[in-house]
Amino acid sequence: MSHEGYLLLFIAVLPFVGALVPGVMIRAGRTACASFAAVPTALAFILLLMLAPSVMRGEVIQAELEWLPQLGLSASFFLDGLGLLFAGMILGVGLLIILYARFYLSHEDPVGQFYTYLLLFQGAMLGIVLSDNILLLLIFWELTSLSSFLLIGYWKHLPEGRQGARMALAVTGAGGLAMIGGMLILGSIAGSYNLTDILEQGDAIRASDWYMPALILILLGAFTKSAQFPFHFWLPHAMAAPTPVSAYLHSATMVKAGVFLLARMWPVLSGTDAWFYIVATTGLVTMVLGALIALFKDDLKALLAFSTVSHLGLLTMLLGFGTQAAAVAAVFHIINHLTFKAALFMTAGIVDHETHTRDIKRLGGLRHLMPVTFVIGTVAALSMAGIPLFNGFLSKEMMLEEASHTYWAGSAYAVPVMATIGALLSVAYSLRFISHVFLGPQRDDYPHKPHDPPFGMWASPGLLIVLVLLIGVAPFVADGIVATAASAVTGAELHPHLKIWHGVTPALWMSVAAVAGGVVLLSAHAPLDRLWAAAPRPEAKAIFHRLVAAVVGFSRWFTEVTHNGAISRYLAIFTLASVLVGWMAYRGSGLPLPTRGLLPVPPVIAVGWILLIAATAYVVVVHHNRFQSLVLIGIIGLMISAGFVYLSAPDLALTQISVETVTIMLLLLALNFMPQMTPKESSMGRKLRDAIIAVAAGGSVGALAYAFMLRDVETISDYHLANSYEGGGGTNVVNVILVDFRGYDTYGEIIVLGIAGFVIYALMRALLDGPAARRLRTLEFGYNISKDRHPLMMVVVTRVLMPIAVVVGIYIFLRGHNQPGGGFVAGLVIAIALLMQYMASGFFWTQARKKIEYHTLIGIGVVIAGLTGAGAWLYARPFLTSSYTYVHWPPIEEFELATAMLFDLGVFLTVLGAVMLMLYSLSRIARYAGETVNVEPMDYDPGERAEEKVEA
Amino acid sequence: MPFVVELLIAIALVISGIFGLVGSFGLIKLKDTVQRLHAPTKATTLGVGGVLVASMIYFFAKTGNVSIHELMITVFLFLTAPITANFIAKAYLAKNTKPDELPGASGDFGWSIYDDPPGSDKAG
Repeated sequence: MSHEGYLLLFIAVLPFVGALVPGVMIRAGRTACASFAAVPTALAFILLLMLAPSVMRGEVIQAELEWLPQLGLSASFFLDGLGLLFAGMILGVGLLIILYARFYLSHEDPVGQFYTYLLLFQGAMLGIVLSDNILLLLIFWELTSLSSFLLIGYWKHLPEGRQGARMALAVTGAGGLAMIGGMLILGSIAGSYNLTDILEQGDAIRASDWYMPALILILLGAFTKSAQFPFHFWLPHAMAAPTPVSAYLHSATMVKAGVFLLARMWPVLSGTDAWFYIVATTGLVTMVLGALIALFKDDLKALLAFSTVSHLGLLTMLLGFGTQAAAVAAVFHIINHLTFKAALFMTAGIVDHETHTRDIKRLGGLRHLMPVTFVIGTVAALSMAGIPLFNGFLSKEMMLEEASHTYWAGSAYAVPVMATIGALLSVAYSLRFISHVFLGPQRDDYPHKPHDPPFGMWASPGLLIVLVLLIGVAPFVADGIVATAASAVTGAELHPHLKIWHGVTPALWMSVAAVAGGVVLLSAHAPLDRLWAAAPRPEAKAIFHRLVAAVVGFSRWFTEVTHNGAISRYLAIFTLASVLVGWMAYRGSGLPLPTRGLLPVPPVIAVGWILLIAATAYVVVVHHNRFQSLVLIGIIGLMISAGFVYLSAPDLALTQISVETVTIMLLLLALNFMPQMTPKESSMGRKLRDAIIAVAAGGSVGALAYAFMLRDVETISDYHLANSYEGGGGTNVVNVILVDFRGYDTYGEIIVLGIAGFVIYALMRALLDGPAARRLRTLEFGYNISKDRHPLMMVVVTRVLMPIAVVVGIYIFLRGHNQPGGGFVAGLVIAIALLMQYMASGFFWTQARKKIEYHTLIGIGVVIAGLTGAGAWLYARPFLTSSYTYVHWPPIEEFELATAMLFDLGVFLTVLGAVMLMLYSLSRIARYAGETVNVEPMDYDPGERAEEKVEA
Repeated sequence: MPFVVELLIAIALVISGIFGLVGSFGLIKLKDTVQRLHAPTKATTLGVGGVLVASMIYFFAKTGNVSIHELMITVFLFLTAPITANFIAKAYLAKNTKPDELPGASGDFGWSIYDDPPGSDKAG
């Protein structure tokens, strides 16, 4: 990567780094926050200017960092003419906005947050325009949607702000989703996700069958972002944001992202009929419609919002024409629109700030009260109207020139006439902005006495109108950047010469007609306004809300049907779906013929099998009796364990038998608090339905297992068997798989186990605060409870068993790497040892004697396992790479030490903690059920009496 | 493996088999819970013990090492079987016998199943 490439990376990262600062330093004041937001922006801007000369020479600066090469995703950036233009706009206007916002926002606003959001947004926008990888571009695209949501909804206390933010997020987010699809298609056609590669494959992409879907999906993304008809409705509602946000989002950045994308994809996607008719038509309709609505808006910002919609339509239309000259016009208009529109938004903000209203009907005659603002607003508005000597005139002329020789479906007049109407409306609303706000008689009923704002507030728009005038009078100053950017858009070497006078062309006449018509239209504004107010129009916001309500309604209905809180329904859906998928896989697979025969069935095994089947079938019969079912489940568990032993899976057998023991013990404890019988609530039909589902699922799984066992299938087992000792240092393949080959899985599983423990704990806590607790208190358990809760014999025996069981647990743990055992089983064994104590001496007596909370135990376990895994990083190995060595300490035999053992220790602690936490949760019920707490470990201690006798 | 060793193993296995069989048969044949209590406890102690002895002899003869796993199992059995039997008996008592049917307890604190333990709130 070149020196300049690093600078580019810096530019891309700077706003995000800078975003960390202002949010946390609001106590330092507004000026400090603004300064700390300005520093990274200014720095990035300077770096950009340093890179500008090489880009202007036609070089493309690239920087690449690998991220996820498997997905084709890399953090690669490039800077060409188009990127330079947009990055300059984003950073330059960003600086002006930071300054403006410092004076615009008040003491009560959380200014630090504002600047953090602003920098986040700025970073996301920069990311879009600098990305060389379309997947990266998509990430930044979504980031702009999210960060603009924060900015638009910045005034959280205003319902309009929240609604506007939500609407913007919904529309642009949905477009972004469509665009992801389009970009993926594009990437797969081109065979690369790198923009530079894609841009070279225009012909292949346009010829592809997938061109249309990709085009439509990408256009959906661009049109939603750039507020093109019919997605234009979100933009005016986003005006609920503070004015600096509106000025930034709607002049230079957010909405221009769609235009940027169109320009970026121009060499690849444009040049087809589909592109022309979709893009140019949408742009044209949007331009005219936006301008028409803008004329009748009384809210200053709404007027500007719809004018923005209109101008975005203009840009879209120009790019849609697909000619190089139109592309030049579009690039030039992007610059011009930025300068006058940002200035106008800021002017509107100043007016709002000073008079406390944005309603045009309540304004007028401000020219003497606010002379500076008047000058700024007028210059910018005249430029928007396209009056000569202002920069808006130049690009509008170029647009009309392009429109004048564009044929639409064979008609030579459709586009020119519509474009002229658009320009005419644009003149009308621009002049209305001047005359209805600043001209006219001075009023005495302003909500607040207006005067010009401090310099800091009008400095930014002031600078912008200097640019407006400079480009308007001497357009050649923009030659360089327009040429560079337009060359980047079209992929051809262009040298446009921007000038004021083009001679008497059709465009000039169209311009004259537009200005004249605009003036006439404005003079008839009052009656037209009444007509407009009376005319029925579809209210976009209401339609949007109805649409959202319908979607929400459907989602709610679907959720409530599938997710109604009954576990039986979840299980039914899950089971049926699995069976269905399995069936489809079977249908599509073409099963080969069996290659193996049945093995002989020894009589002992047959007995075990019959026991298993009989117990299972009997559960179905007696399942209403909870206790009997539990006994039967115990039989089933034992038989399964025996099956594992028979099938040479001692590890599984060991695990199964300890899991069975713990499960049965915990269930017995739980049964204590439940009625002996479950209620009969299912109808015959329901039972039949459930039986069918159950048999289908069980039968399918059985058939699947049977089919597999009859065939020689190549599995991963051979690899594991071959590498267990060599690679993992253990002869117990099962354990090596758990702690090494698939250690990441195990790590995830122990976390899940820990979470399950916490969830049971939390659920029980919630349960015991609710009606269940009341029922427990009144419930009578004592009908056959023995009075000796902690019998002497039991207590003594469990104390004797405890050390033996612990030794067994440690033994199983230590030998785990090479022989059946391991952390999981050891955890269960120790848990059983502890459970015995709890059963014998009562929960609370025992609980009082433990040193570590079980919550902590789970946490420590996960942390140990995680740290062991991360330890591999110190040796530059991937997460969870294990290492082992052999140690010889006389007189002990040589033994092995593996890092996997530490990992296993984490597993052990988590399992122990989770099981004990579950027990703890269950035992809390007992307290609620009125169980008393014993002080002594056993009911009757003969030893005590003996001591007393001795003392006596 | 010498004949004597094989004989010893066989004897141990046969004994265990007989006790296992008798224990299981008793479980079916005997009349009520208290009587039946005897059967499985014998089967678990001597029945399983025989197998364990056989196993120890076998592995000693085969590998030359004394295997003590079996002893551990024996210890566990000796510890748990009485407790199990004790609990079954108590459960039987609690379910089938009323306090007034019982003779007076010889100790100070009555019958453990029906009378509150010493030191508890309710103990009179």
